[in-house]
Amino acid sequence: MPHPEASPKISSLLRSSEWALVLAILLAVIATAVADANHSYWFEPFESIRDIARNTALLGIFALGATVVIIAGGIDLSAGSMIALSGTTCATTMLALAPLQMMGMKPVGPLVVTIACIASLLVGFLVGTLHTWLITSIRLPPFIATLATLVGLRSFARALCESSTAALTPTKSALINVSDPLFKTVRENVSIPVAVFGVLALITWLILTRTVLGRHIHALGGNEQAARLAGIRTDNVQWFAYCFGAMTAALAGLFYVANESVAAPVNQGRGHELNAIAAAVVGGCSLAGGVGTVPGTVLGAIFLRVVIDAVSKIIKTGADVYEGLIVGIVVVIAVTFAQIGEMAQGGRRLLPGGLGLCAIPTLAILCGAIATMTAGARAGMIATGVAVAFLSFVRLWESRRTA
Amino acid sequence: MDHIDTPHAVVMQGITKRFPGVTALENVTIEVERGKLHAICGENGAGKSTLMKILSGIYPPDEGLLLVNGVEVRFTGTRHAEQAGVAIIHQELALVEDLSVAANVFLGREKRTSLGLLDEQAMTAECGRLLVSLECHVSPRARTGNLRVGDQQLIEIAKALSLNASIVVMDEPTSALTENESVRLERTISRLLAHGTTILYISHKMDEVFRLADRITVLRDGRHIKTVNRIETTPGEVTGWMVGREIASRQFDTPRVRGPKLLEINNLRVPWPEHPRGYRLSEISLDLHAGEILGVAGLMGAGRTELLETIFGAIEPTWTGTILLQGKPVRFRHPREACAAHVAMVTEDRKRLGLFPDLDVAGNVSLCSLTEALRGGFLSRAREESLVAAPLRDTGVKTPGPHASITALSGGNQQKCIIGRWLLTKPSLLLLDDPTRGIDVGAKAELYSLIDRLCRDGLGVILTSSELPELLALADRIIVLSEGRLIAEFSRAQATEQKIMEAATGS
Repeated sequence: MPHPEASPKISSLLRSSEWALVLAILLAVIATAVADANHSYWFEPFESIRDIARNTALLGIFALGATVVIIAGGIDLSAGSMIALSGTTCATTMLALAPLQMMGMKPVGPLVVTIACIASLLVGFLVGTLHTWLITSIRLPPFIATLATLVGLRSFARALCESSTAALTPTKSALINVSDPLFKTVRENVSIPVAVFGVLALITWLILTRTVLGRHIHALGGNEQAARLAGIRTDNVQWFAYCFGAMTAALAGLFYVANESVAAPVNQGRGHELNAIAAAVVGGCSLAGGVGTVPGTVLGAIFLRVVIDAVSKIIKTGADVYEGLIVGIVVVIAVTFAQIGEMAQGGRRLLPGGLGLCAIPTLAILCGAIATMTAGARAGMIATGVAVAFLSFVRLWESRRTA
Repeated sequence: MDHIDTPHAVVMQGITKRFPGVTALENVTIEVERGKLHAICGENGAGKSTLMKILSGIYPPDEGLLLVNGVEVRFTGTRHAEQAGVAIIHQELALVEDLSVAANVFLGREKRTSLGLLDEQAMTAECGRLLVSLECHVSPRARTGNLRVGDQQLIEIAKALSLNASIVVMDEPTSALTENESVRLERTISRLLAHGTTILYISHKMDEVFRLADRITVLRDGRHIKTVNRIETTPGEVTGWMVGREIASRQFDTPRVRGPKLLEINNLRVPWPEHPRGYRLSEISLDLHAGEILGVAGLMGAGRTELLETIFGAIEPTWTGTILLQGKPVRFRHPREACAAHVAMVTEDRKRLGLFPDLDVAGNVSLCSLTEALRGGFLSRAREESLVAAPLRDTGVKTPGPHASITALSGGNQQKCIIGRWLLTKPSLLLLDDPTRGIDVGAKAELYSLIDRLCRDGLGVILTSSELPELLALADRIIVLSEGRLIAEFSRAQATEQKIMEAATGS
């Protein structure tokens, strides 16, 4: 089955699936505006936009990196740990260059900040190089190589934080406070991360659609062996992709430090690599490689953040608790929608056989549990009942159709 | 399952199958006599495989009746078809490489002990018995992925036998076999026929069909064209029905102008440490002039592909000897370097090694010459389109446009796109590794004309092929490889199929 949107169309700005995402984003915003009891979208529109924009930019910056890696046919699981390492590198460098100012919570000066940021990006480059070496020379599968750095880099960042604070400050610490006014400016001006995200998205889009390198990235992801035999230096293309992935995560790490005024390698960016991959997948990237767009990923990131924001507005309590659940559900639904045409054509059944029978209560219990936790026991009962009824109907309809 | 009252093992009546946007089969009726080999012929896309997939329960027909041994059946899946005695051996083998041979033969129907555990012993024993009967000398305990393609195919047949299938469908079974393996397969087929098994045999190799078949059915564009007894027809006639026109076997006899010496290889040896032979290629010396086609014959595994890959720098450059390109010694370590030296290679396995399914036609053609599509450092769609227009026209690609999906084109047109890709790099040496494999008859003829024309334009071409008539029609000289050595060289005038095959098989 050829992929219906397999060819990169440069002429039209967005593909139909991307317009569907725009629509989904608008629907989510409208739903939140209506369902939110505080109506914060009405009363504090700028506040709300700022919130979503900041979160989207922070996610989007390294989701762009994930997109390039995924289109090149790879995967980078280490972005979250790279964020932690980048932040720690930045803070450690500042601590080493200006220990007194850092301990006294005083400005360290733009030169030191610049050096620290460059050091972080450089570490990103080194990590990308390490990934490429593991993958192309040692021939590890990308999943294994970046799984190793996912756990390894965070541990490394923590060790770096503790040993540097032990050496440079009176007490060993698991975090380093960063209070330079430059970072404060970034925290208070949402336009900075948004502008960085915008520019980076534009650059990534140009690379992917308008350069030889971008075409080679698509070719590599689509058919690695054929790419090599067509004379493409696939190792170098991979090197770019993984360095781009790691360096965008490093860049995001700097914004995390600015946002939280602290480099905290224990938790900073933990699990965020999966959000980035989710944004790319929701935006239409295929994990098989070769397929994906920058507009798709940008919209995917916006959509994820809007839905997370919607849930936090509507439920009120602890949005971060539900974040993972929402990302999971959104990814499943988005990818299902992308396949729905194929399913109908192939006569594939959603709930076949014994598996389908067991899936009905599984899904109903899931719906009921979520509804109970968020809206009370009564809603839970109703949700369970509706889910059972709906799924049973689907099952009956399907067995009628195929009989 | 004995319904001797009907002479027909299979009757397919008025079968119609539609896929979105295309009618794959329209009102096809075929009657297959019991215990006979019935060949189904047709070009790629004629509907042969679809028809066989309906017979073996993979697709349900939209319209029409299917009778097996005189009983109407409606298969709901392959398992159901197998129970009715129909087994299919797919062109692309459906084996689990990491399981043992015995495990594959009994996959999904594993024998169990009284405790309900796997009965490895019984399965191994029965599998061994089946393999011996098929002259397949591999252990039932061997890992399937380590076996040669020919042996893997016999394992599929063993699977069909273990099902006690009375009707066996073979979908182009010899497409990946060496001559020896094909001969062994033919012996197996005659044994099956002697036991009363009915065989439906899909192929477009006329020599095979005319050696094996009792009856021949020709399909074209999803329609039934003719069913005849083999003895009443000729290969030329059948080919004509397949393409809807008589193909005069094209000859390119007008002598070509031999240019200066382009390539010279002396005493090439490519080591192969993990193999008992110790080398992939040994003591290879040859030369090639511009405006000349050098044919490379040899069985599968003889080293044809390795020879081209060595020249092209596609494998690690561990070789010894010398390769001189236009008089200068070269040693390419990456295809990139070969491209830069104007050497081009069209690889053997189009899908796996040549095509980029996610790029469109223009993207597939322009890939090796993208720097020419740049404007101000960025790719320009307009430049790319005008860049690919010439090769698309020269190679005669039939495409709805440069932005059509490459996967929507036929195999022949895809191959022309890949040749076009390399023509854009302005090669002086073109390496073609079995370029017409899996391409239908009409498209093959077009590719032959194209290759002939390119050669007359001054290119040096090295062409490998598993089809001897192709080499005989095109090549100025033919070298024969066997077990990694250059065994013989024939001029165009000397070469015959007989001589080449004798050299290749070492007889």
